[in-house]
Amino acid sequence: MLKGIVLKIPSDDTIVEAVQIFVEKIGLTAGVNEEDVTGLSIAVMEVVKNAMEHGNGGDPRKLVTIYVDVYSGRLQFIIDDCGSWQPDADLGHEPGEGEALINSRGRGVLIARNLARWLDYGLNPEGKTRATLIWPLS
Amino acid sequence: MKIKEEIKDGVMVIRLSGKVISGPDLMDLKSVFQSAVSKATGNVLLDLGHVAWMDSSGLGVLVSGHTSLAREGGRMAILNATKKIHELFIITKLVTIFETFNDESEAIESLKE
Repeated sequence: MLKGIVLKIPSDDTIVEAVQIFVEKIGLTAGVNEEDVTGLSIAVMEVVKNAMEHGNGGDPRKLVTIYVDVYSGRLQFIIDDCGSWQPDADLGHEPGEGEALINSRGRGVLIARNLARWLDYGLNPEGKTRATLIWPLS
Repeated sequence: MKIKEEIKDGVMVIRLSGKVISGPDLMDLKSVFQSAVSKATGNVLLDLGHVAWMDSSGLGVLVSGHTSLAREGGRMAILNATKKIHELFIITKLVTIFETFNDESEAIESLKE
């Protein structure tokens, strides 16, 4: 069983594709089926991109840390950044209408929540933003 | 992601395949949209029939292309969105700003007007 995997990455969006491949490999190893594994990786990447942009301000010197653990029937990703942003306040989850819809931010959170269905934001022990995404394993 | 362009009855048809997600490929798609706007090609039909996945960055590029075209009086419509991609448009409410078609002839007929 996969336990205690930790990946630290700079807040640089050129690395996102490589991380997505990493998440897909982890997912397949954990038992996520091939049809769903891209959905998993997109959900995780949406959270990682938000951590890079909103938590770390896109500063490559600031790291995003991804913790991966497999439990019975569940694959857990914890994503920590170095910021103290508030996802609901800073992004919102309501796309709005008209111009607000076109200009809206927060599509990534909406997509991640819909794909993973279990995504919570909170704080890590240092008081920085922590996202926890749990993917069910059949 | 692969991008193919063709003009049909005066409508620019852009066919995408693969994953429309964050990465250098998205810059190519932005350039195609910019080119469509600068050449005043007119209306654009975006065929997503072979797109496996799209993320928020991909959607952002589509919205940006749609907005730029609309400013110049053009329209952008979506053709053949798969169930997964259509769900993304519903979740993000973007289904309310894009015209969608499942029949290419019907889409071309509508856009060439």
